[in-house]
Amino acid sequence: MTAKNPVLTALDADLSVRVLNQIPTPVMAVDKDFKIVFMNEAGCSLLGLPLGEITQYKCSELMNSLHCGTPECRMNQAMQSGARATARNEVNIDGRAVPIEYTAAPLKDEAGNIIGGVEYVIDITSRVRDEQKLREQSRTIMEISTPAISLWEGIVVLPVVGVVDSMRAQQMMNTMLAKIKETSSKIIILDIQGVAAVDTAVANHLIKITKATKLMGCRCLISGISPAVAETLVQLGIDLGDVATNATLKDSLGDAFELLHYEVRKTK
Amino acid sequence: MTPAHVSEEVHVELNLSTDNALAITSARRLAGRAGFDEAGQSLIATAVSELATNIIRYGGGGEVVLRLIHEQGEVGQPGRDGVEVVAEDHGPGIRNIERAMQDHFSTGKSLGLGLPGVKRLMDEFFINSKPGVGTLCIARKWRR
Ligand SMILES: Nc1ncnc2c1ncn2[C@@H]1O[C@H](COP(=O)(O)OP(=O)(O)O)[C@@H](O)[C@H]1O
Ligand SMILES: [Mg+2]
Repeated sequence: MTAKNPVLTALDADLSVRVLNQIPTPVMAVDKDFKIVFMNEAGCSLLGLPLGEITQYKCSELMNSLHCGTPECRMNQAMQSGARATARNEVNIDGRAVPIEYTAAPLKDEAGNIIGGVEYVIDITSRVRDEQKLREQSRTIMEISTPAISLWEGIVVLPVVGVVDSMRAQQMMNTMLAKIKETSSKIIILDIQGVAAVDTAVANHLIKITKATKLMGCRCLISGISPAVAETLVQLGIDLGDVATNATLKDSLGDAFELLHYEVRKTK
Repeated sequence: MTPAHVSEEVHVELNLSTDNALAITSARRLAGRAGFDEAGQSLIATAVSELATNIIRYGGGGEVVLRLIHEQGEVGQPGRDGVEVVAEDHGPGIRNIERAMQDHFSTGKSLGLGLPGVKRLMDEFFINSKPGVGTLCIARKWRR
C-alpha cells in the first residue's frame, strides 16, 4: 500500500466532522477527566451553546443527568471496562428534564490506549410517552377483564382470562373481597381455565387469594385446572395445599351447591 | 447442548412487568407452530413466563428469544421438532447457581420454584451466570 495522500487525509477528516455534525442526534467526546473535547451540532443546539463554550465544561456540568457523578455513568463504565455500554437516563437542561438513551464507548488513540470516551444520545421522549400510554391501556384492559359475577345466592364466580401479573392479581383480590362483602357470599369460584400460563407467580397469587377469602369466612374453589395445567403445576412443584380444585367450572358449581345444601332437580 | 437447525426465531424484549404477556403469547403461538398440543403449549408458555419474570424482577430487563428448532435423526430415523428458549440479561447475575436451582430458594420472597421448575418442565436446561455480568438460560422442549 502506498503512503496516504495528505490532501485526501485532510478531506477525510473534514468529511468525518461534517458527517458527525449532520447526524441529527447529539454525539460527544470527552477526555479522561470528562472535559468535553467534541460536541456535534445537534448536541450544541440541544445545549443551546456554541462549541467554543461547551468545550470549557465537563459533561456533567452541562447535562446534569441522573447518572452524572454516579457509578451508573456509562461513559465512566466504558472508559474503565473498554466496552460499550447503553442505558436510559434523564438529562436536565435549563430546568427541562428530557428522557434519553445513550451509548458510550471508549475513545482510543492510534496505539489503542483509552484517552477518553465517546457517546451518542437519543431523545426518547416520544418512546417514553408511548410506553406510558401502553401501560395505562393494559391497566384499563385489566380492570375491565376482572369481573366478579354473583352467580347464585351465596356464590360468586370470578373468571380469570389471559395473563395474570402481580398488578392483575391485586385487582382480582380487591374485586373479590369487595364482592364477597357486598353479597355476603359463602363460596367463591375462581375459574382459571382461560389463564395463558399458570406459573409459580400465578399459583402464589391464587394461594394468597384463597387465604384472604378464608379469613372472610368464605370458601374458595378453583376450577379450570385442565390436565395440562395440573401437569404443569406438578412439574413446577407447587403444592396447592387444601385448596379445592376441579377440572371444570361445572364441577365446582356442583360442589358449591352441595356445600350450601342446594339441590338442582329436573322437575319433569 | 448439541446444535439444532433453527427455522424461526422470535425476540421479545423484557423491561416492564407488562412485557411478560407478550413473551407468554409468543411462546404459545410458536409452540403451536412447532406442533405442540395444548398441554405442550401451556407447559412451554409457563417455562417462558418463569424465565421472563426472573429477567424482569431480578435481571433488570433483558430479552427472550424463542426458536423453532429441528434436529436431524439417526440415519433412517425421523428427526424431531422442538422449541428452544434463550433468556438473557446483563443484570447483577446469580452468585450461587446451585442454590438458585434448589426448590424453594428465593431472594424475592416468592416460591423459589421457577428455575428448578423450568428444568423439570423442559427436556434440556442450561444456565450460566456471572455476578456483575448477567444471566443466560437456555431450555429446550422436544415434541414427542
Ligand atoms: N435473571 C436473574 N438474575 C439474577 N438473579 C436471578 C435471575 N433469575 C433468578 N435469580 C435468582 O435465583 C433465585 C431463584 O429464582 P426462582 O427459582 O425463579 O425463584 P423466585 O423467582 O421465586 O425467587 C431468585 O430468587 C434470584 O435470587
Ligand atoms: Mg422466578
